[in-house]
Amino acid sequence: MLDKTANPLRSRLLESERLMEETGCYDGITELTLRRQDPLKFETLHTKLRAYCVSAREMARRISASPGVREVGEMVVAIYTPEGDAIALSNGIMVHVHTMSRFIKWMIRNGYEENPAIRDGDIFANNDAFIGTVQVPDVMDVVPIFHEGTLVGWAGAVCHELEAGGITPGGDVCLAQERFTEGLFVCAEKVGENDELRRDYVIRCERNLRMPIYWVLDEKAKVAACIDMRESVKTLISEIGLDYWQRLSKEFIEEGRRAQLARTRQLTVPGIYRGHTFYGHVTEGKPGFQPLGPPNWLYNIPIEMEITAEGKIRMDFDGTQPWGYHSMNCTPAGMDGGMFVTLTQHMNFEGLVNDGAWMATEINIPHGTWTNPDNEMAATATSWALLLPAYGVFQRLLSRGFIARGFVEEAFVGQVNSPMIEMGGISQYGTQFGMAHFECAAAGSGALAIKDGLDTAYVGWNPESDMGNIEIWEQNMPMVYIGRSIVPNSGGAGKYRGGCAFSSTWLINKTEHLRLVTSEHSSRVFDNGGLCGGYPAPTCEKHHAVRGSDIFEKAARGEALAHGPGTDPVTSDFERAYKGEQVFEEGPYITRPHKSGDIFSHAYNGGGGFGDVLERDPVKTALDVENGFLTREAAETVFGIILGDDADGYPQADIDATVARRAEMRRARLEKAIPVSDWIAGEAARVKRQDFAPEVTRMYRSAMQLSPRFASEFKSFWGLDADYAFAGET
Amino acid sequence: MSAYSKDVIRELVEGTLPWPQTRRIMSAYKDDDRFDKYISVLQDRVAWDDPILLPVGDRLFICDGGEGRVTRCECGHSFGDYRENWKLKAVINVRNTEASLREIYPNSDLPDPDWMEIREFFCPACAHLHEVEAAAPGYPIVHDFQPDLEGFYRDWLGKPLGKPGKETA
Repeated sequence: MLDKTANPLRSRLLESERLMEETGCYDGITELTLRRQDPLKFETLHTKLRAYCVSAREMARRISASPGVREVGEMVVAIYTPEGDAIALSNGIMVHVHTMSRFIKWMIRNGYEENPAIRDGDIFANNDAFIGTVQVPDVMDVVPIFHEGTLVGWAGAVCHELEAGGITPGGDVCLAQERFTEGLFVCAEKVGENDELRRDYVIRCERNLRMPIYWVLDEKAKVAACIDMRESVKTLISEIGLDYWQRLSKEFIEEGRRAQLARTRQLTVPGIYRGHTFYGHVTEGKPGFQPLGPPNWLYNIPIEMEITAEGKIRMDFDGTQPWGYHSMNCTPAGMDGGMFVTLTQHMNFEGLVNDGAWMATEINIPHGTWTNPDNEMAATATSWALLLPAYGVFQRLLSRGFIARGFVEEAFVGQVNSPMIEMGGISQYGTQFGMAHFECAAAGSGALAIKDGLDTAYVGWNPESDMGNIEIWEQNMPMVYIGRSIVPNSGGAGKYRGGCAFSSTWLINKTEHLRLVTSEHSSRVFDNGGLCGGYPAPTCEKHHAVRGSDIFEKAARGEALAHGPGTDPVTSDFERAYKGEQVFEEGPYITRPHKSGDIFSHAYNGGGGFGDVLERDPVKTALDVENGFLTREAAETVFGIILGDDADGYPQADIDATVARRAEMRRARLEKAIPVSDWIAGEAARVKRQDFAPEVTRMYRSAMQLSPRFASEFKSFWGLDADYAFAGET
Repeated sequence: MSAYSKDVIRELVEGTLPWPQTRRIMSAYKDDDRFDKYISVLQDRVAWDDPILLPVGDRLFICDGGEGRVTRCECGHSFGDYRENWKLKAVINVRNTEASLREIYPNSDLPDPDWMEIREFFCPACAHLHEVEAAAPGYPIVHDFQPDLEGFYRDWLGKPLGKPGKETA
């Protein structure tokens, strides 16, 4: 039992923060004494902790019923100090290592020691993003670790739930415009005692979810993982002693903080880095959206990153847009988590990975913006829709530093949004069901500065990206795959192209009621970018579907089927192959239910390109065309590469013709381009006229109202008067 | 601590190092003398003699030229004082129609040109495409990178930056 009189947890947390403020070092650890005394023991013990985490996660994944957790690995576990700072963590969705930290600290700050009390065997759960997670489906469980009556740490686990009981099936609920339609909330709740989940909590889950088996078994998996880690830590403490453990765990974090600063100094260059991205959302004419704000909107996400002389990374989101009545808002926990998972991939590839890395950063998320809403009723169900583009910018900013410093192998154009589909209704077994389809966890990555991006193999939130096996997904939904294929030209063009995306095509099967929804994305803007002359990957593809298709009749006649929408932007292969009602819909996809015989297709996103397209290797490009990553048309018109055929009919680069074609393209570039100063003069007149689409005008108006700096820089750049303002209401 | 020959660094930078070797470099501890070898590789690549102080893009460098510290294209064209945004001295092509966007995106759905445009920043001498911005119409051009050049050399590299060829302060 915690001794509240001698060492109340809240006082300990405040003292830890005071020591950090006073000394600049975590918990006042100015000397890494244990590391100095026995560095081998120090490293070995951290490796042990990491092994506890990895082992617990792998064990727990076998308990889960969710293909998201079992197949795709949507889970992470970690071990924390009593104050809630991560000491060691597993692989997986590492974004939540730090969001769990916020959850633990929130309970401590809110007097949980007194009520509901923190006892050995307790289980606490949370999925409230304003307390500490990203979105409702990210449900976390933590258990305290006691050693002989003293609270010595926490073990925590997070799974992304495939069904959260919101207004639409799944968990990334784009129809949620306030928190009240996002799904089942568990707000820092004690959900179990004596290592057992409370029956009333399980009943609540069973009665409020479309597919409770996912959530409930994931809960059991997480509790098992936490208990496993807890017992391992207790055994370790018995071996090394409590005093040693308490000092050691703090030194691990301080070492992580120092290592992050050192790596920044080693890999980058101090200075100011800037970038931006955009996000467009269209709900006009779509069913279900309440008229609480403008139906369509455009968000700018400018990011300024400073790398200080000390090696600290400061991120600043000043100038971005206000929160709104939509599902894409993000909480500080989510913003921190995005920073943490990006750092772990880019800079924490060696040494002790823990919350210390996060402590070597600072982030400015202006109050009232989507990054830090000043209204806790705001929905965050699809935070990732803005988080992913934003941290893709962060990756490009870091990469410019890597390039400047010479570590070109680490430069990476970054992550992209990867729109998920979710579904519910009546399953192929005739039962109620609901599920998020997590094959989206395998988008194309941005290019590297030395090679093409990864094809269908990367998302920012989980570095171990995996699309899952088709057969497993088919067991869980009333649809069968009739196609899963690379989307040609879906990587951004460049000397090194972005990784390509894939698309899936399904036949709805054995159901008369299947709701299909996608959670985000219009096609109006690029929400990714290229680097050093590379182009962004294509914008999000619209959805193709055929209602009441004749696919069964065609199959019975033994005729060839179309397995995807094809590459013709005007007429899809579906239109050529199938009779029925052809649907061509910009995301988010929200329509009446589908039924057996319908066809639905969904494309994921590729990554941005790196470098000038006219420097791309013609031989590599011929291989790309042969393998379906690029089309011949793109090779010639975009990359300036002329392909012939070899004796076997495979594409072969014509080097001489390519050189000539590229020389012509360079001439054409200069003929067409104008001095930037001339362009600015012309555009300034347009800005003065405010000759923009309403969504663009509203974006500028909001940004200028929220950010004096944005307003000042905007006016300065275009030579506008100090009292210039965009007309209209925000 | 790792160390690699200049030839290895050259191949790494050019993207021609075999993947297994590249992968080993990515997984190993980083080499402390990378920056010096990197600069040396780049210096060999350019046809001019002015010292490269810092790369700021794929073929874009801050160098110490006769006219001071400037941002310079690999072809030798100068974009002026490195503290100013080099893009303002570039030439630009803007893709803000479906037809012009279709040239780069032949098969995919296109953004709405009323919401978004592509800006291509070329070197006016060699037509190298140095940077692409995807931005809403009317969005100010971004100054991508303002390195703390003096601080970098003094505090991080621990070596003198040298006086610029001409006083630019």
